[in-house]
Amino acid sequence: MQESEERQEHPELRELVVEASRALARLDAERLEELALSCQALTQDLARADAVERALLGRQARESVGDIAIFARVLEATRANLNVMNRLRDLRAGRLEYGEPQGRGWTRTESGHGDN
Amino acid sequence: MGTINSAFSLISGALDADQSALSIVANNVANANTPGYTTETPNWQENSPVEINGVSYGDGVTETGATSRRDSVLEERLDQQQQLASASSVRLTALDNVQALFTPDSGSSSSTAGDIGSDITSFFNSFASLEANPTDNSLREEVLSSATTLAGDISNAAASLNSQSSGLGQEAAGVTSQVNSLTGAIAQLNQQIQSTSPDADAGTLEDQRDEDVSQLSQLIGINQISTGNNGLALTTTSGQLLVSEGSSFQLTSGSVDGATHFFVGNTDITSQLASGGGELGGYLTARNQDIPSALSSLDQLAYSISTNVNALNNGGTDLDGVSGTAASPLNIFSQPAAVAGSATSMSVVMTDPNQIAAAGLGQGTGDNSNAVAMANLANEPLLQPIATTSFSMTQNLSSATPLNGTTSGSVQIYDSLGKSYNATVTYTNEGANTWGYSISVPDTLTADTSVANQVSYSFGPGETVDPGTNLTITGSTGGGTATIVAPVVVTDEAVGSAGPPATGYVAALDAQLTAAGIIGVTVTNTGGVLTISGATATAGNVIADPVAANATGTLTFNGNGALISPAANLSGITFSGLSDGAAALNLDWGLYAANGAANITQAATPSAQSAQSQNGSAGVNNGETPTDFYSDFVSTLGATVSGVQAENTAQNASVTQLQTQNNALSSVNLNDEAAAMSTLQSSYQAASQVFTMLNTIMASALNLGEQTTVS
Repeated sequence: MQESEERQEHPELRELVVEASRALARLDAERLEELALSCQALTQDLARADAVERALLGRQARESVGDIAIFARVLEATRANLNVMNRLRDLRAGRLEYGEPQGRGWTRTESGHGDN
Repeated sequence: MGTINSAFSLISGALDADQSALSIVANNVANANTPGYTTETPNWQENSPVEINGVSYGDGVTETGATSRRDSVLEERLDQQQQLASASSVRLTALDNVQALFTPDSGSSSSTAGDIGSDITSFFNSFASLEANPTDNSLREEVLSSATTLAGDISNAAASLNSQSSGLGQEAAGVTSQVNSLTGAIAQLNQQIQSTSPDADAGTLEDQRDEDVSQLSQLIGINQISTGNNGLALTTTSGQLLVSEGSSFQLTSGSVDGATHFFVGNTDITSQLASGGGELGGYLTARNQDIPSALSSLDQLAYSISTNVNALNNGGTDLDGVSGTAASPLNIFSQPAAVAGSATSMSVVMTDPNQIAAAGLGQGTGDNSNAVAMANLANEPLLQPIATTSFSMTQNLSSATPLNGTTSGSVQIYDSLGKSYNATVTYTNEGANTWGYSISVPDTLTADTSVANQVSYSFGPGETVDPGTNLTITGSTGGGTATIVAPVVVTDEAVGSAGPPATGYVAALDAQLTAAGIIGVTVTNTGGVLTISGATATAGNVIADPVAANATGTLTFNGNGALISPAANLSGITFSGLSDGAAALNLDWGLYAANGAANITQAATPSAQSAQSQNGSAGVNNGETPTDFYSDFVSTLGATVSGVQAENTAQNASVTQLQTQNNALSSVNLNDEAAAMSTLQSSYQAASQVFTMLNTIMASALNLGEQTTVS
């Protein structure tokens, strides 16, 4: 019972990692910022941890290795998606300034003279 | 010339455009719940400039019709990610099923395939028990019983894997009708779009086409190519055309060598589809890659255990004082002819426990040395031989060699049971730049001395005594002893043939024994076993020549000494009837190197053989014991499942992200693109921070954990 309460107070490292992957998948920036704060607190705790707590965290770290790998892959996929979106934005910006209206997709929405 | 009216016209045009835009907004609201419906935004087209008093003004904009706010690049990225996610989902399910075969059920030590790891331990432990009392019948029964369990579990696992493989082929075939239905629909939509909106956005028709392409992406890996007049061509990721303009090309399936293959027209695109993505790619990757990999490991395990245990049992003495021979082997397991298929066919063929050869060769039946050796197999790397299939040697044949003079070269090669042979090529100068060649693979026979004052040699079917035999026989002459050197030249006898021949090796031996005055020594040939009994001593080897095919021929060189015939490497050189019962050696002789240069040349100056190579080995199971090999296999399978799981999670996350972006851009909601981009960017940045900190925590925690453990 006591252990269960402790776990609620200090969730397993693994849960934190899994939650980070989930939050990133659904692009929940606020949750990710909360998790970043949790990590910061955890880092501070780590500096003050006694031998028992260190051993506990060591075990949790070993159990989390697979989930960290998944988180890394989600992060990598997000970076790839971000690149795609950035390129799209550049592409659109280029069309707005220089391009002719295309048959499919975006068309410019204002006069080239800018005085209408 | 422009007037003030032109300015009014400019303003009213803008109002008209706003009104049109309102209509489109209404349409969006009405279609808010239509799947795949894409928000339409008004196209604002610049009008011709208006001149007022010589000054050119912009003529405002005119609403020219709606363009869906779809973005082909983003949608294609989404489709590609869906292809990958679908493939890994299907592959993961298949891998989970494979893994379930080898994973014990909860609360049990036994899995669907039994517990092969424990079976291996129990089997070798049964020999350890037999060591203590090698004549005990119940212990012998226990050996056969544990062997049956091991063979049964391995063959059942292999059968289950084969069944899963067939099932995946059927699942994959089931996908083809869905693919064909969608490609047909896309081709029809292409026709409609091209006829109604060749130069503009086709609205709902394009939405339908995008929706169909999205569904198709979940089934099969595709590339999308925009064509003229708003058309869309689709190919497989390897470029096989599926849809072009208004035509679609049907995907069909059929059986090739018992496996389901996939075709477009007559082209077999199975391997292309396997690497392409989508459900079809997932099914085929699991069927063509994951299951064969698991089967291959099981085959290696079954092959190495069967051949090693059989070889040892044949090399010992059973409870009736009998040792195994090629003609009458004492095999515990069915002897596999090749590694492939060994797991499926693994079974126990021994029914009489007395045939377990617990005693060593030539030892009494109470001896346990062979049982010890078989128990020790549990802790030894098992032989996993690879038969030689090709060999080459680099050599200059001297043109100064006298006519009919010979020279030779040799290469050590291996049969399917790991036994080595010295393959020798003898070249005979036949003049006029031609050399005859003759390839031999002398087979040194192992002497069976299990019966006192008797030595036997088992010949493989059709094997003949080799001229190189250097056997000596010593026997009594009545008043003393005499020794003969067995004849090295044999006339026409195939010792391996059944029955005592009237002439040949046996007759020649008898004649020499008689001439030497040796009495009481008899020589027989029964069923391919040459037995010499009554001798006081024998020494040396009996060497046999396996049956050879295509092992002789002619090499022809031009005036410069370059090989001109044969013009290519020689194949189909076969040696059969090997005394250890190995599969026939099927060899290719590499006369030419990869760059086309001949390995054999004729030169004025003689040259020794300078290089030799062959591709076989007596190898081992990565140096692993049977138990370690199996554990390694299960661990590797687990790692593969885990890797695909991670990949699948990441790909699904990526799809979710892209759908969020696509919805913001394309669906009917109030989020704008900038906000969506901002969310993506800030999420990535926050996640990067989390990841960096997690990395630091992991490194520190693992290090601290280790230190704690050590202290």
